[in-house]
Formats: sequence, C-alpha cells, structure tokens
Amino acid sequence: MRPPEPPHLLGLSRRLRQIRVMTGKELRQLVRDRALLIFIVYSFTLHMFVAAGSEASDLRDARFLVRDLDRTPASRELVSRFLPPHYRPAGEVAHPGEALDRLDRGTAVMLLEIPEGFSRTIDEGVEPATVQLLVDTSSANTGYLASAYSARIAARYGAERAQENLARAGAVREQLPGIESRDRVWFNATLDEKWFSTISELLTMITVSCILLPAAALVREKERGTIEQLLVSPLTPFQVMFPKVLAMIVVTLFGSAVAYFGILLPVYGVPARGSLLLFFGVTALYAFANAGLGLLAATFTRRTAQVGMLMLLTVMPIIMLSGIRAPLESMPGWLQAAIWFSPLRHFLEVGYGILLRGAGVAELSDSIAVIAALGAVLFTAGLLRFRRQLG
Amino acid sequence: MGAAAVVAEAVRVAGLEKSYRGRPAVRGIDLSVHEGEIYGLIGPDGAGKSTLLKAIAGVLRFDAGEIDVLGTRIDSDRAAERIKPRIGFLPQGLGLSLYPELSIEENIDFFARLRLVGKPELAERKERLLAMTRLAAFRDRPMKHLSGGMKQKLGLICTLIHEPELVILDEPTTGVDPVSRRDFWAILSRLLRERHATAIVSTAYMDEASRFHRLSLVYDGKEVAAGDPERIREKRPGSLVVIDTARQADAVARLRPRFAQVDPQGATVRLFAEGLLPAEAGAAVAAALEGLPATVADAGEADLEDVFVSLLREGAPAPPAAPAPPHTPPARETRFAIEAIDLTRDFGGFRAVDHVSFSVPPGEIFGLLGANGAGKTTVIKMLTGILPPTGGRGQVAGHDMRHAAGAIKRRIGYVSQAFSLYQDLSVVENLRLFAAIYGLSRAEASDREAWALDLGGLRGHERDLAGSLPMGLRQRLALGCALVHAPEVLFLDEPTSGVDPIGRRRFWELLFRLSREDRVAILVTTHYMSEAEQCDRLALLFAGRLVADATPKALKREVAETEGLPVEMHVDRPLDALEALAARGFPEAALFGPHVRVLSKDPDGDMERLPRLLAEAGVTVHLAERRSLSMEDVFVHRVRALEETGGGRGEGA
Repeated sequence: MRPPEPPHLLGLSRRLRQIRVMTGKELRQLVRDRALLIFIVYSFTLHMFVAAGSEASDLRDARFLVRDLDRTPASRELVSRFLPPHYRPAGEVAHPGEALDRLDRGTAVMLLEIPEGFSRTIDEGVEPATVQLLVDTSSANTGYLASAYSARIAARYGAERAQENLARAGAVREQLPGIESRDRVWFNATLDEKWFSTISELLTMITVSCILLPAAALVREKERGTIEQLLVSPLTPFQVMFPKVLAMIVVTLFGSAVAYFGILLPVYGVPARGSLLLFFGVTALYAFANAGLGLLAATFTRRTAQVGMLMLLTVMPIIMLSGIRAPLESMPGWLQAAIWFSPLRHFLEVGYGILLRGAGVAELSDSIAVIAALGAVLFTAGLLRFRRQLG
Repeated sequence: MGAAAVVAEAVRVAGLEKSYRGRPAVRGIDLSVHEGEIYGLIGPDGAGKSTLLKAIAGVLRFDAGEIDVLGTRIDSDRAAERIKPRIGFLPQGLGLSLYPELSIEENIDFFARLRLVGKPELAERKERLLAMTRLAAFRDRPMKHLSGGMKQKLGLICTLIHEPELVILDEPTTGVDPVSRRDFWAILSRLLRERHATAIVSTAYMDEASRFHRLSLVYDGKEVAAGDPERIREKRPGSLVVIDTARQADAVARLRPRFAQVDPQGATVRLFAEGLLPAEAGAAVAAALEGLPATVADAGEADLEDVFVSLLREGAPAPPAAPAPPHTPPARETRFAIEAIDLTRDFGGFRAVDHVSFSVPPGEIFGLLGANGAGKTTVIKMLTGILPPTGGRGQVAGHDMRHAAGAIKRRIGYVSQAFSLYQDLSVVENLRLFAAIYGLSRAEASDREAWALDLGGLRGHERDLAGSLPMGLRQRLALGCALVHAPEVLFLDEPTSGVDPIGRRRFWELLFRLSREDRVAILVTTHYMSEAEQCDRLALLFAGRLVADATPKALKREVAETEGLPVEMHVDRPLDALEALAARGFPEAALFGPHVRVLSKDPDGDMERLPRLLAEAGVTVHLAERRSLSMEDVFVHRVRALEETGGGRGEGA
C-alpha cells in the first residue's frame, strides 16, 4: 500500500514533521475537550488524596459489644485489651437477643461474651477457659481482621496468665520455652499504608488514562468522519496512530510528574529510592503499551459510547487482577498465567521496585523487557487491524 | 392576502419564538394552514423548520407566541396532550421513529396499539396502506433491512394508521431516491385528499415547492415569503435566462455588473433577470453579450430557488469573486483525470457497487447523483483508495488505483460527507494541519493558507473554532483544507447537504472556477436533483448501478423525446382528474399540490385537447401550462426504463 518512495532525507524529515504536527493536533484537541481534561486533572491530583484516604486493609473502629457474665478483674482485663484505633467499645448487653439485634442492624460488628466462671477456670488451670466471639463477616475483610486480631488478643492474654500461673508454681520465666519473633520491616519502615495505596492508584490512573484516551481519540475521529480525511491523505496508518500514542505518553509523563512531585512526595512522603529518571522512562514505555491496547480496542468500536463499555471489559480486569487489589499468589494458576499478559502486572513490580526498594535496571530488566514486548505486540496488532479495516 | 373566503384553519401560528440556551431558533414566525391542504416549510438546515413543527405537534415548549391546532390553543402541556390523538407526527431522520428489529407489520401494529386503533379498523387500514405503498409483499421483513424509500413509506403508514386530522412530516423526503420520493408524494396527496386531512411538510429541496398548495420559505428562524408558489414568484418577478457560450468566464464577467444573480452552470450560464419578462430578459442579455460568441438558449419562468435567493439577498451585493490561485499546476499528460472501469464492491453478500464505469477529463465537473445507499460514497472511497474494490480497476491522476495509492493520495483532494473537519481546532489550525500532512514546506504552507482564507471568504474568522462556524463557512473551510496542496483531482461527497441556497451557489461558483481556471477534475456526489444541473456531466446511480451518464442537457432531451414534457393543469376536482387521465392514456398523471401534472409528447396539442377530455369526465380545467423537466423526471424515467428491461443486471454499463 505504501508508495514506492526512496527513503531519502527529505522524505524522512517530512515524515517526522507530519508526526510532530499530528501529535500537536492530538494534544490540542485533548486540552480543548473539557470533559477529558477534567478527567485527567482529577486522575493525577484529587484522586491521589481519595486513594490515600481509603485504607481498607487495616481494622479501624470495629465497634464491639460485651456480655460479661463473669464480672471479675480477669474478665475486665480481657475486655480492656480491645483497644482503639482497632476497636471501639459499643456498650454492654445483658441478653444475647439484644446483641444479635444490634449485629443485625449493623450498629456493632462483634460481640464478646465471657461466661460465668471464666476467672475461676483460668486460675484452676485444669481446662482451658473459653470466651465466645460473634463476628459480623458480611464485610469479609473487616470480619476476618476483627476475628484474627481478637484471637491474637485472647491468645496473648492466655499466654501471660499461663506464665503467671507457672511463675507462682515456682518456674523461672526466662527458662520457659518460647519463640520470640523480632520483625525487621524493610522498604516501608513505618508500614505506612498510604505509600502503597497512592503508588497503586497512580499506576492505576496511568493505566486507565493510557487506555481510554487514545481509544477515545481514535473513535472520535471515526465518528466525526475525520479519519477518512486522514486516510485519503499521504499519511500512513502508522502516522495516524502513532501520534496518538506519543501525545498520550506526553500527557502521562506530565501527569505522573505532577502527581509524584506535587502530592506523593510532599504530602505523603513517598520516597524515590531508585532512579526517578528510570521510573519515568519505564512509565513512558508503559504508556506506549497501554496506548497500543487502547487503540487495538478502539478498532473494535464505532461509537464513543461503546468505548466506555469496552473499557469496562479491558481496564477493570486488568486493575482487579494485576496485583493491586489482591496478591497475585492468591489466584489460581491459570489466572496467574493469563495475567502475565497484563502490562500492569509488570509495571507494578517496576513502580514499587524503583520507588520503594531502590531497584535499578539490572533487577528490573525482565519486567521492562516484557512491558516493551507487550507494547510492541499490542501496538502492531492495533495497527494491523486498523490497516485491515481500511480494506 | 385578498382571496380569503371562509376557510377553516387547521393550524394557526402567530409570533412564535423559541431559543435553545439563548440561541434563537425561531424568531417570530406566523403561519396559517387551511384545512385539507398540504402546506410546505422550505429552508436550509438550521432555519427553524424542525423547531416550528415540534412546537405545532405539541412536543416542544416555546418561549413566546400563539399556536392553535385544530381549534385548540396550545398554551399548556395539557392542551398539547388533548390534541395529540388527532395529529400524526413523523420526526426527522429516515426511519428513526421506527423499531429496526420489528418487521413492517409489527411496526404498524405497535403504532396502531399505541394509538388505540380497534382491531377491525387496524386490519382494514393496514391492508389498504400496505397495498398503496407496495409494501405488502415485505410485511415480514425487519425494518432495518428496508431501503431508505421503504423506511420512509413505512414511517408514513405508522403516522397515518390512526387517521389523524393533521399530519406533520419533518423532512420526509431527504436522502430518499427520486422514485420513492415520487411514490411518497403520490401516496400522501391521495390519502390526504381522500380523508380530507391536512398536512404540514418540511423539506430542504426547493424543487419540491410545486408539491404544496401553499408554503413558507424560512431562513434563520424567520419567514422570508409565504403563499402559493405563484404568489411567492410574484414577490420577485423576473425571468430565467440560459446562455450557451464557449467563453463562459467572459460572459459571466460581462453579465455580473448588470444582473445580480449570474451563475455558470455546466456548459452554460444561467441568470435571473429580476423584473424582466422572458422576452425582455433575453434581449437585455443578448445586448450585454454583444460581440461575444454567445446565444440565448432559453428564457422563461424563474425557479422558486432564484426567487428565494433574490429575497434572501435583499439588496446585499453579490459575494466577492474568489481569487485565482497563485500558481497553476503543471499541464497534465493524462487524457482522463479519473477513469473507473467496471468498479464493483461487495459487502458480504450485498453488492453496493455493480460494474460502474465512467471517466472524467481534467477541468470537468462530474456529478454522481443518487439516493442514500445508491453507492455514491462507496465509489468515491474506492477511487480515493480508502476501500479496495472487489472487482474492476481505475486510474486517478494518471496512476493506477491498485498499485499507486500513495502517488494518488498526494494528487487528490477529498471533502467527505458533512465536511469532517476538526471542529475543536481553529480555521487556521485546520489549514496548517492539512498543509503539514500533505508535506508542504513552511513557505508553501503559508502561501496556500492565505489563498485558502481568501478563497473561502474566511478572513476575520482565522481564530474561530471550526465547529462554531456557520454551515456555509465550514463547508468552504473544508474545501480549503482539501485544496491546500493544489490537487489535480477533487472528490466531494455530498458537500452541500444542509447548506442554504446562497451558500450553495457560492460554493458551486468556487468549484466552477477551480475546474475552469486550474483544470481541476471534480467528482461531486449529491442528492439534490436541482444541484445536479450544475455539473458538466452527470452519472445517475441507482442501487449500485449506473443508469445514465451524459450531460444534463442530453439527459433531459432524451426524456423529452421519449416521454414528453410536463403539462400542469389547474383543475377543480383533482382526484377525478387523475382517474380520468389514467383511463385516457396518462397513467403517470400525478398530483402536484392542488394541480395535476402529465408528461406530454405534444404539449401544445395536449394543452388544447386535455381540457376537453377532462370536461367529458366532469372536471373543469381552469388553466393548463407547460412546466420544464427536472432532473428528478430524468432520474425517475431512467430507473423505470431499467426496471422495464428486467432490471438490466449484467448487461454492463
């Protein structure tokens, strides 16, 4: 289909000028599309705050009820160990029915019931003392954390009381067998969850905009008929498609820089232990891969409204499965294999690796190579489909 | 208005105003539609036709003014609801009000149930309407598989199924092929006559004016003129003169200072001589052209469009002539700028273009005329290299379209349907973008940019976004973008849809200059039959096949010889007249507004004879007069001829 023209310098410089002008056109259109502009600005700024504010992986303010039938110092001691910020007492109840009613209505998530004789059973030490914990697990994460933390509190209290009993019986505490775990927290010493969540959301937003915007740009050209005007011009399909990718890379780099230097670093203190240059370099590569995916998706649609639906089918699974929402290791093997083809899965490693672990090219070369390869394949596939659609 | 006897008014509109977000759409329109007439609203896109019709149909609130429909004042939503059962409304857009997945019969049944039509009435009406529209054989076909003309007829049935007293049809004929359009008018006028119903119909086609009893010309939200076609003509009395000349440009230059509306058209020049009778006009033109090799070919009654343009101009000066391009492209050695040989294109099992062959020499304006779906756009897409043909071959600008798409692309310009510009870029940004796309150097680009701004009369709008320009300017910007690289061949796909008549004329003037001065070969598609006459040569496309390829004059001459010329009669009882004429060898007799029209091979004889014939049937003819053949007549004739020869498929073009 290409004209048999010798690739002399003049021809090349003309081709490059065409690409430059087309990229400028894309950027100009983007800036003038108010809806898309608001979307981009929101994604790279406000959304970071939203992400930092929504920590779901820790237990906060779990309201618990107490039904203490023992009413001894031991039972009060146990109750007093359920502390803020994880727990918040929601009062005592006299009857089980009342507790169930409050669990049903959602004004409490947990009931701790201490049976009569609790203290006596501990002191006798003949058989283990029991307490009952009723947990509302309709929110699985909260329920899981509430019961896990509670079990740990009960276990520790039990262990301490056991040691006291043994000490009273003459045992020397230091001689008792036991394992002490000494944690060294690396990369995120304060376990600040905001580091993880803001980086995740930045990578998510890069993903969404890199797929959505080039797709929207291409479909809009189809819809308004301008694509035909380009197709009858001497532009090659590559020269029509690639400027959309270039424009997206520019926007993504700019947005990421604003997000990192404007919010992540100053507000949340997210460090950059590795090379930021490398980080932005790989971000550009990642933007290219995603833009390829977006353009490929756009070749399957004719209307802007369809782009939205298609995005649900591509972006959602990528974000849900690539390792942000749930660890990869918890997925079945076939799904892990499929997810290997998601550029985000590899970009996550690069993003956390460079920013938090200070990794360099050597450690990340595999991931970077995969992103580049996926990008090349996706863009080429999009280009081929686009070219075939023309005839 | 003098002739006001006691006529009942079906619709009365007074001082109607309506704005959309501060943008006035209708600015004080008055309207009076008599019971039993077909009332026309004619105007370009954006004139306010749809707004007016929606307000009358009671589906749109308006800002100011009064509307009375069938004796009810529409002053509240409740009042609008009260009259809705008595009206039928067909909104704009081919088949948009119908359900694509439902069959013809299901669509009709649905609308009938919606309108609470009883079972026995429905059965009777459905059969009658299906038979009349010749859709009965397709009753089980899903609407989405119907042709444009069939969709429109189905839309009409669904609008009429509850036998409304008032029918409101918004651009029912736009984009419909001429044969279906003719059917549509025949059915509508017959039904309305039989049921004594009233209709308001809008159209963008000026040549449909003769279909109406009375009409309003609307432009920019205001009424320009109203009344029956004769009365509107009287507002700007004048004559139409057609001049044959080998030196068109000189003739135009001589005539322009003396006459306001002079337009080159095909190989002729056509002018509207305001205030002159045909004989006077002919003499005045001949005097003006003294010394030039030119003859007055025809001097007669002006078209309504000339009158409309004259009314719109309202003394405004003629638009400035376009500047000549700074350089003329090198002479071409190829004999034809465009040559198509047996071009064929299939989409799945559907053959969109069927062995189409034609050729266009440099400097010619070649028109491809056809309805929506006839294959015009597909032909253009194949020639411009967007779409590979299934079969056949062709060359464009001296290069084979199968092997040298790249070379062709650098030598052609293309204006696609609805002038697809970047609406979010400014005028200058659009021009610069296309200059760079076509690889112009910076110096060349700024030369051509300036040229295109002058050509399109776009000075003063350089920074405006393309999307904010009025249609006419947007269209000329699209043309400028397509010409920025000085192409040898220009393709225009329905470039004038929806543009007002003045804008259309200006556009055609530009095309004319390009073809004559720069020898650009121009291929233009259109569904405006009247516009087709501006082309040097015309090809008629019907269902993917070329049914004619000749000059407009030759095409008309052929119809005149085989079928005759139109004779129109003003009669007192049109339906009886139709029947009487059909029984006496004029089966094609048709209603045009209140009048009856036949094609006659001996117009002078028939104008004497027919009134006597009709008198025997008890019909009085008040007046019989000649009308001129339209391109629509030509198109219908050609398609019918093709159908009679068994479809003619495979006999080659």
